[in-house]
Amino acid sequence: MDDAIQKLIYQAIDQTISAEDFDQLQDLLEGSEEARQAYLKAVNLSESLHEIAASPTPNLVDSTRDADPQITLPLYRWPSVFAFRSLMIAATALILVGGLAYWLGKQHLSSPAITEIANFESDATESQIAGHATLRRAVDLQWPSDSLPAKVGDVLPNGRLRFESGIAEIDFFCGATLIVEGPANLDIESDWSVRVLQGRLRATVPPAARGFLVKAAESEVVDLGTEFTMDVTADTARVEVVDGEVMLRGGKLDGQHLHTGDKGTLHGSPSSEETNHMITATDLYQRDRSATLQRYEEWRESMRSIQTDKRLIAHYATSELDQRTIRNGADTGDSRDGLLVGPVDLVSGRFGTASRGLNFKRPGSRVRTRIDGDFQAFTFACWAKIDNLNQRYSALFMGDGYENGEPHWQIRDDGRLMFSVMVDDSQSVSFFNDRDQRVVKDAGLHHVYFTEPFWDISKSGQWFHLVAVYDPASKRVQQYVDGQRISDERIQPKFQMDSLRIGPAEIGNWGQPFRETPWFAVRNLDGTIDELTIYAAALDASEIQSLYESGKPLGY
Amino acid sequence: MAASDRPSSIDDSNEREQRYNEFVALLTRHDLSIRRFVRSLLPSRDGVEDVVQETALECWRKFDDFAAQNSGQADEFARWACVIARYKTLSWQRDQGRDRLVFRDSVVDVLAASALPQLDRLEEERRAMEGCLAKLGESQRQLVLSVHSPGQSVSSIAKQSGQKARRLYHQLNVLRASLQQCVEKQLQQELRHG
Repeated sequence: MDDAIQKLIYQAIDQTISAEDFDQLQDLLEGSEEARQAYLKAVNLSESLHEIAASPTPNLVDSTRDADPQITLPLYRWPSVFAFRSLMIAATALILVGGLAYWLGKQHLSSPAITEIANFESDATESQIAGHATLRRAVDLQWPSDSLPAKVGDVLPNGRLRFESGIAEIDFFCGATLIVEGPANLDIESDWSVRVLQGRLRATVPPAARGFLVKAAESEVVDLGTEFTMDVTADTARVEVVDGEVMLRGGKLDGQHLHTGDKGTLHGSPSSEETNHMITATDLYQRDRSATLQRYEEWRESMRSIQTDKRLIAHYATSELDQRTIRNGADTGDSRDGLLVGPVDLVSGRFGTASRGLNFKRPGSRVRTRIDGDFQAFTFACWAKIDNLNQRYSALFMGDGYENGEPHWQIRDDGRLMFSVMVDDSQSVSFFNDRDQRVVKDAGLHHVYFTEPFWDISKSGQWFHLVAVYDPASKRVQQYVDGQRISDERIQPKFQMDSLRIGPAEIGNWGQPFRETPWFAVRNLDGTIDELTIYAAALDASEIQSLYESGKPLGY
Repeated sequence: MAASDRPSSIDDSNEREQRYNEFVALLTRHDLSIRRFVRSLLPSRDGVEDVVQETALECWRKFDDFAAQNSGQADEFARWACVIARYKTLSWQRDQGRDRLVFRDSVVDVLAASALPQLDRLEEERRAMEGCLAKLGESQRQLVLSVHSPGQSVSSIAKQSGQKARRLYHQLNVLRASLQQCVEKQLQQELRHG
């Protein structure tokens, strides 16, 4: 809008306009819809500001005060005015006037909407994770049936870590590293200390972690910058210094220092058995690498059989990348290849450096494809590693224009998966949004199927197998994480869509959502995808479980 | 005005009470829309209160007609009330004479026509505005809110702060323009969630 017109408009609103200019403004308003829209916008803007300024708590920054929101004047308070029916009968007119006066008065007393302040920029609370160490590597770990397995990359919290066999490499936040052979039973006490109840371990403690404590039996091994091994069973606890120096506290060797090559028995009978054949970091690296490669080869084998599935529409595996093109591995006749667009980073995939993944952390990055045809059902499956959910919505697979029958598969910033199919793009829907506690408007008739949150920042960098199944025939939408079904929702008749389409679409981003403006929503996935599979059918739970099993990386 | 439209024709006080509750609920739900609509037809805030009150009373007088034709259509209420509000605005302006700036009837008519389709957007707009205000720096936010505080004007703020009114106007208009842009962007982002 013309600056001169804008100026006239604001002069009118501020009541500083001259009579002549006011006439000119009126001519403009009468003659042009554009001028009218500009005027209405300006009036609304200034009224919003006026209402916000007049509110008793125009508190836009301190979001902690939102925790106690002023209650919107509820409608149900009105009937209480009429608690005495006799009064009502006797004085209808009076009450009417009184009621209106109340209504009018309320306009000045409180502007209820103002208390629900949307704070777009800053979160009041800093996010926190509880834990002391991370599981960096895991080779052939077998977990007891009664405990939840930890995955590679997990932050390990305070408390017990137990496994029956295999080897784990644990990085404590202070910088100390433990390589532990199972059967092992540890109690992680803090960033700086661990109690060993059972297990053989090698501790490497760099200068930054000097002072790291390993406790066994009644003793504490205080590391003074070394590498040492320990062997702990129910009856014995032995320590041997590979390099450097440790100090012992408590137990029968209280106060002693051990140096390179020294051995000590903290508990039980001394033994001549050597402990320095404990696995080293280099050994572990080699073993991990070869096991990962083997896993990778197994997956490639299973991938070939997956690709012969007649129900497959598309199969994109980043490890099959050729320059900027990911060949569609499905045998569909037409190409439907994926094309890398923008600053997509090629990174390690879920089978380590041998495999490849695409990182979409920069907003311009995406993989574009085009999948024509009509389909009766959808199953989307992908392996994704999420680094962060900074955007409100992070895209997995998105139909371009979100037109009738097209899918949208995303993750919301609270860690929920969301899948939807457009039913009627000519309508618009208003619905009450639980999270924002208000009615929001959405273009197009569709329903978003949400899961409970499956991701939070502590899962950053872990691989997940994500699946969405849209099945109009059984009227169900089901979603899976790591082979487990985490949501199952009925498709309501008004959201039923039998004819499914994809057309131009994107992996990891959403192209030009608003065709009429230069703005686009930032929905790139801050993370990595290394395989994405689309079926024109509804896969069942056991098929999805086996997809997960055949594709999961080592340590999962 | 048809006096026979008064709800006195309803003998059952129960039914009358119910009708009245229904009316008040609708009025309460749509008060912001109606108020904003009236405000956009008047060059200043003067008179908004009077017109809104007149409108509310007239709506109650005619509520039986409305209810008879629009059972269960709550969304229609705001539109219907705004048609009444438009006439109330015109007659209020006529009563005021010409001692102050008021819009010509023809301008009121075209503005009303343009404002009517936007009634349901106001609430969202204001929320978006709150978000946008929160993004401003503290001093900018204070400026823009203080100018819009009851009883304040740019010239009075200029006097208090010792700034030139012209300069203040300039700052203010730049801020308003950027807020406007922010609000529009915000509203667009709300669309197309899925």
